Amino acid sequence: MRAIVSVRDLSIGWGAEPILEDVSFDVMRGEVFAILGGSGCGKSTLLRHLIGLEAPMLGRVHLTGIGPPQHGLEPPQFGVLFQSSALFGSMTLLQNVMLPLQKWTNLPKDAIAAVAQARLRLVGLTGFEHHLPSEVSGGMKKRAGIARALALDPQTLFLDEPSAGLDPVTSAGLDELILTLRQSLQVTTILVTHELASIYHVVDNCIVLDRLAKGIIARGNPSDLRDRSTDPRIAAFFHRRPTGSIA
Amino acid sequence: MYTPAFTIRTDEEGGLRSLRIAGRLTLADGRALWAQLCAAVTTGVAVVDLRDVQMIDGGVAAILLAATNGKVRIDGASGEVERLLRLYACAKGSEGPPVVTASRGILVQVGDNAVEFGRELQRNLAFVGDLGAGLAAFVRRPQSVHFSDLLYLMERAGADGLPIIAVINFLIGMILGLQGAIQLHRFGADTFIANLVGLAVVRELAPLMTAIIVAGRSGASYAAELGTMTVNEEVDALRTIGQDPQRFLVLPRVLALCVVVPLLTAFGDLLGCCGGAFIAMIKLDISPTAYFSQLQRSVELSDVISGLIKSIAFAGLIGLVACQRGLATRGGALGVGRSTTSAVVLVLFGLVALDAIFTLIFSLLSF
Ligand SMILES: Nc1ncnc2c1ncn2[C@@H]1O[C@H](COP(=O)(O)OP(=O)(O)O)[C@@H](O)[C@H]1O
Ligand SMILES: [Mg+2]
Repeated sequence: MRAIVSVRDLSIGWGAEPILEDVSFDVMRGEVFAILGGSGCGKSTLLRHLIGLEAPMLGRVHLTGIGPPQHGLEPPQFGVLFQSSALFGSMTLLQNVMLPLQKWTNLPKDAIAAVAQARLRLVGLTGFEHHLPSEVSGGMKKRAGIARALALDPQTLFLDEPSAGLDPVTSAGLDELILTLRQSLQVTTILVTHELASIYHVVDNCIVLDRLAKGIIARGNPSDLRDRSTDPRIAAFFHRRPTGSIA
Repeated sequence: MYTPAFTIRTDEEGGLRSLRIAGRLTLADGRALWAQLCAAVTTGVAVVDLRDVQMIDGGVAAILLAATNGKVRIDGASGEVERLLRLYACAKGSEGPPVVTASRGILVQVGDNAVEFGRELQRNLAFVGDLGAGLAAFVRRPQSVHFSDLLYLMERAGADGLPIIAVINFLIGMILGLQGAIQLHRFGADTFIANLVGLAVVRELAPLMTAIIVAGRSGASYAAELGTMTVNEEVDALRTIGQDPQRFLVLPRVLALCVVVPLLTAFGDLLGCCGGAFIAMIKLDISPTAYFSQLQRSVELSDVISGLIKSIAFAGLIGLVACQRGLATRGGALGVGRSTTSAVVLVLFGLVALDAIFTLIFSLLSF
């Protein structure tokens, strides 16, 4: 197994103050990797650095075989679901999913529509193809965002809180989707999530970030962390216990 | 030379025609696969045999299912191929504490602002450079721009703006006519009202007023639109799917304005002159026929063209500045408001400055 993403001594932040310092970790090919941590600790920010949308303050991010998107020169090697879904507001859900296919495949128009439709069916959005993003719920936008991320069958997926706003049944379906993609196509998935049940079910490895520590406070398999860790912050996270302050 | 990573052959067994596919099926070969499958289905193949297929991806699973559309049996899939097919076939449809920023000394603030100004300048230069690259790519491969967008943008900036452009330019022609009529009448030079209104409108006022209206209508809306897209991470999403925002968002808008604004200006020229004719008729008793034949003698084609050249430059300025401000938006709804304001202010300032430069150049060239 080789590392798809390797992060070394990364410090990131929006202003002068870093929000994470000296972060290092590897994501192996074909694994489901989770970035965990309290709200506002910098998970989404870290994800934006991994996909090359932000420049790090210090350190580096290396993506094996999947260079940063070469704006418009070669097809993107990974699919991204943004926390806000980031659907194109002036296009229907179907058009959103068709866009990458139109740009990067030479399929005829009806085939593109069929593929896009199948992606939407996969995330349970049949019947909403011609709705605008503003006409569907938050969870549905998330699912359409996942369909768009899958459009070109990328080898690597970055998903920011894919199950936020989803009901338990849909959320379980999403877990199955991630596992099938890993099993059948060795797709690597890097996701931010808070869904404990889903974490134990699909995640191979994780890192836990902490806002006050400004870094990684634990790493490894989530079930192991739950059962073995002695750190009260880790125990609180995996056992859903409040820690006094909402941090 | 393109060779797909799969092979297809047709078998006939006991009157049953089957399509036997072998190899690795990926979306990259989707076009060939789609064409062959569609052809096979119409010629009455009953079975698609996937026994010799080593792998498929999700896109191909979707293509297989859509092309066969339940009319043809898909057979022989096993292992991961079957699993992916099944996946596609069965699918149904807190806040932290407030951040305390230390107050900064005045020298530090000045220094920071200077650095920020330098960065801003660098970003703007990069923006213009990127757009130049986009334009070059467009010239080489015109289909890389979304033309459906272009037509829609042209309609929004052009056709929808006609009434206000008409009214404003007509009023401007009237105002000029009224001011001129009083002065000219004193000297008994009534017929020269056509010269005065015509030249002022065609060379200066119609291009400028039209551009100002377009700046208010389209400039503001582009800045707000792209600003909202930036804030909603839609522009980032574009980048991650390999679409260059310059080419996808900025270029069509700039092109649309460069086509539409000169047309609007020509329309404004006409309406402005009509405004003058109206005043000439009611204040000075000059018939429209006399007015327009005087106009024909005084305004030359080069006057009209110089106004139209200006208007193309104005259009480029409006599109560039508005889109650049939009894409530079930071920080939520507030940021969208800020960039819309700064877009309109910058454009208005730029229009007047550009007009001055053009007037200078034209007078040097005596054009
Ligand atoms: N666009 C931005 N500009 C400035 N600060 C930001 C921006 N996005 C996030 N932040 C700050 O970065 C920190 C981490 O945010 P984020 O990565 O979104 O957290 P998480 O995804 O873990 O909930 C927060 O304190 C937030 O205020
Ligand atoms: Mg987040």
